[in-house]
Amino acid sequence: MPENPYLNVLLMAALTVVFIIACSYGLGYLAKSIAKLRGASPKKQESTFAGYFFAAPWIVGFLIFVIVPLGFSLYWSFTDYRIASGEPTTWIGAKNYQTILFDDESFRASIVNTLYLTVIGLPLQIGVALFLAVLLNQKMHGERVFRMAFYLPVILGFNTAVLLCWRLMLNTGTGIINQIIRGVTTAIPPLGYVSRSLIFIEEVSAAFFLGLNTGKYNLMMKVIEAGFPADNRVPLWVQSPLWTKMSVVLLMVWGCGAMMLIFLAGLNNIPKELHEAAQVDGASPWQRFWKISFPLLTPYIFYNLVVGMISALQIFEPIFVLYRDNQPVVSSTISMVYYLWQKSFSHFEIGYGSAISWVILVIIMIVTVIQFRLQDRWVTYDIY
Amino acid sequence: MKKYFPIIKSIVLYTLLTGATVLMSFPLFWMISSSFKTVEETNSPGVVWVPREPTVEAYTAIFKNPDFLRSYFNSVFYVTLALVGTLLSIAAVAYAFSRVDWPGRNVVFFLMLSTMMIPPQALIVPQYVFFNKLDWIGTFNPLIIPGYFAGGAAMIFLLRQSMSQIPKELDESAFVDGANHIQIWWEIILPLVKAPMATVATFLFVGLWNSLLTPLMYLQTIDLYTLPVYVSTLYNINQTVQPWPTIMTAAVLTTAPLIVVFFFAQRFILESVVVSGLKG
Repeated sequence: MPENPYLNVLLMAALTVVFIIACSYGLGYLAKSIAKLRGASPKKQESTFAGYFFAAPWIVGFLIFVIVPLGFSLYWSFTDYRIASGEPTTWIGAKNYQTILFDDESFRASIVNTLYLTVIGLPLQIGVALFLAVLLNQKMHGERVFRMAFYLPVILGFNTAVLLCWRLMLNTGTGIINQIIRGVTTAIPPLGYVSRSLIFIEEVSAAFFLGLNTGKYNLMMKVIEAGFPADNRVPLWVQSPLWTKMSVVLLMVWGCGAMMLIFLAGLNNIPKELHEAAQVDGASPWQRFWKISFPLLTPYIFYNLVVGMISALQIFEPIFVLYRDNQPVVSSTISMVYYLWQKSFSHFEIGYGSAISWVILVIIMIVTVIQFRLQDRWVTYDIY
Repeated sequence: MKKYFPIIKSIVLYTLLTGATVLMSFPLFWMISSSFKTVEETNSPGVVWVPREPTVEAYTAIFKNPDFLRSYFNSVFYVTLALVGTLLSIAAVAYAFSRVDWPGRNVVFFLMLSTMMIPPQALIVPQYVFFNKLDWIGTFNPLIIPGYFAGGAAMIFLLRQSMSQIPKELDESAFVDGANHIQIWWEIILPLVKAPMATVATFLFVGLWNSLLTPLMYLQTIDLYTLPVYVSTLYNINQTVQPWPTIMTAAVLTTAPLIVVFFFAQRFILESVVVSGLKG
């Protein structure tokens, strides 16, 4: 093999293309001859060939990169397979699953953190997205520019470089965000009380969630005992375990543009006649929003909720960039996927990692199914 | 009083929208502004909105940093190679699902849609073992090759929706003229779905360019690092920390391609997201 990594991968890419084309022809002719045996018309045979010919890349890839790995990981999840060790792999039954579900503190931490993001982060994110969508829906000049500006964070979103910029901005002492908070609260003292009560609420709720994880609520008691934050208190964003999750929430709210576009689509689909009729009857804009727009938007809120919750399980980059080098706070913000990565690739416990993957998979399916079941209770699909 | 109402309303609206825009783009502004600052300015306890004497020191330094330049090249190289193959295979599969009538199509299509439920991370462990067996760890192969098998069900779906809207008569008359499926796909259908292709290409580009987890797993030496992996090594409190202007310069240069691509493709993206309800 040539040693140049670039030539290497070019060669491999060319081989892959040849392989895929061979698979396409192979699958196409196979399907065609089966169709012939079953006595299909020549035209039907031709389209059978074309269908399998064009779909072959996906079919082959599905087998190689989805079905086979899923099968193997299901098998490994019942073993103690470790990639680095030379020891033979042994079948240990459901022990991995038992450990994950009952004894593994880090895994429980990841569930609690996801819960925090779902209970506190998602409503904020959805609220801001809805607010921006309603503003943009007023149909005015420059709407396109605003829409672009709100969507740009989604594109930049989890880029490492942008996250490092957040790390600079969130610095407790010299970061711009805390500088602005300090400046504003000194200039307008009443806002200082607002900011301090928000800090208090955040710290109590974060301490409560940390308590959920360990089962001990000492920290929450301490926070409550310490009482109302002092004059000069500022958020401790990336520094304290009480704030790490809030920083992730901040990033989520910043990247709410995708949800906003979904809401915009929803607002566009609301028949204009409804608003006109309500206006004639003398309903105020506020009433019209809550009585007409909001109920009709529930399917979109529902969609954003499902997608948002599933993506909260999968947060990786922010934790890696913001907290990876700060071990004491990692467990306060770890997500399931981050934990999976940590377990599988720094400790190379493949068997255990496979079991975590399956737990994640099952949790995502359960969440999706539950949400689809519950939606009948509160989602309005038709109005007529 | 009543006639001033629309004016007040639009003033309030524009104020709110402008405020939100300022907040949303603030990180970007701060990144650019910090990249022109001196180290003292980025670490100063006071607020330095715009550097008093902008310096391009960090830029000249980073263009002399061989690790940064190589990781930039690596990113461009791997993204290009992956993008071309993924885009073409997705276009082929979308053609099969939209323009050809074949037995088993509905079953395969349903299977494809159901893979959207599988989080990609659930597959990383067995895939890692698989690529380890192939001796592909420490090469670009694992980042590029899987995409060639039409990776990305959501993208196939998006393209299929646009392809199904083209009238059937087009293919039929081409058949009468003696064209085969490959010709119809390449010469008739693909030119008609340029805008959706641009959308898919943009999404793929953004995903590949931002990707951190897979490059981190598979590229184990610094000479193979892509930009996100290299940039993430710049700041680590347990090791020597690079000065902030340097990091922010790297950040500006990393995000620049994203912003350029988004600027040109935003028209397609914003529309297709609304149409298909997709998340970027």
